Amino acid sequence: MNLWKDWRLHVVVLGIVIVTELIGTHKVSIGSGVILLLPMLYAIIIGLGVFFTPVVKEKQSKNAETLVFLAVSLLMAKFGVTIGPAVNTILEVGPALILQELGHLATLLIALPVAVLLGLKRESIGMTHSIGREPNVALIMDKYGLNSPEGRGVMSIYIFGTIFGAVFLGLISGILATITPLHPLAFAMASGVGSGSMMAAASGSLVSAFPNLEKDIVALAGASNLISTATGLYVSIFIALPLTEKFYAFLTKFRDKKTASKVKVEG
Amino acid sequence: MLRTIQEWIMVFIIVGLITLVGNWIGYSVMPVKAIPGIIVLILISLAGLVLDKVLPFKVPAIAYISIIAIIVSMPGVPGSEQVVKWTTDVNLLAITTPILAYAGIAIGRSWADFAKLGWRSIIVGMLVLFGTYLGSAVIAEFILRIQGII
Repeated sequence: MNLWKDWRLHVVVLGIVIVTELIGTHKVSIGSGVILLLPMLYAIIIGLGVFFTPVVKEKQSKNAETLVFLAVSLLMAKFGVTIGPAVNTILEVGPALILQELGHLATLLIALPVAVLLGLKRESIGMTHSIGREPNVALIMDKYGLNSPEGRGVMSIYIFGTIFGAVFLGLISGILATITPLHPLAFAMASGVGSGSMMAAASGSLVSAFPNLEKDIVALAGASNLISTATGLYVSIFIALPLTEKFYAFLTKFRDKKTASKVKVEG
Repeated sequence: MLRTIQEWIMVFIIVGLITLVGNWIGYSVMPVKAIPGIIVLILISLAGLVLDKVLPFKVPAIAYISIIAIIVSMPGVPGSEQVVKWTTDVNLLAITTPILAYAGIAIGRSWADFAKLGWRSIIVGMLVLFGTYLGSAVIAEFILRIQGII
């Protein structure tokens, strides 16, 4: 393989890292939500742009795919050593917060039928098995590969979430907490989706809607986010992804049958 | 096997060096200070990848890596305080930036298919976030009511 000898690729990536970190993080406020412009976001866009220049060739792009898989290992290790020290806290806050994690499965129940209805194929599995953050991207890459339909699906949701996730959750959190009969503390637990910026935006709007509950909202959102980070990957591996595969097979069987009978009638 | 491990080590050293540069520019941590942390992360990753090759279970390598990382950083485990102290100097976002730069170059090859998803991925993306948020809130409401908290 000799991946490490692809100096052209590594120098390009080093250049991208230097430029994007020099630009730094910028915030754009929209209502109660904030669009976070992070170096990692510029990096994926510049990387994509560089692919279409003569600087990078087909070979570099192929090597980059394997490199993403190896480099993601470092990210997983970093997540792990952040969870370890908080193990006692996670045990203390109890089973209520943990069971609430199963709410993530509602994603596939709501989004997968729509994705299939919109005509998306196996991309929809990557898109709807989870909220598509780093651990989920890593899981899909590990199982299907980055250039598979599932990989493209999870990356499109990852990019969508990185750009619009915080502002979208910030907006719907305030709206849902005020128009539905559910308790603000239930929404506080739901705010911990497993992404720091999304949690901050969602719980931030809750606090501005219910200022007298501020301490409880912030505490529950933080604990829930910790648990989402700790368990999200395992819920995806053992429950969400197998369930998405089965539900997809069921939905497409229905769709294909319908298409087949239509063809028969027309023929 | 040995050749593969050697390959992994070389790749981790290169990605580690790029991470140290980003960690320095973006988060003002001197590379010398962050070296122990990045070495720990590399060792955990290597251990996870080797376990994945050696053990027969059908579990993704990233699961082994996460579990090893949690164990070595748990309170009461010998050396865990050092592990936590060192790895804190390696900023999470400093690791993410080079990964996404590689990912950008890699997804270039499938850009045509990617662009085809277009407006549909925006609709599905909104439903994905909406579903997670509302689903979790409904379950939390249910349990909090059973517990008599609300």
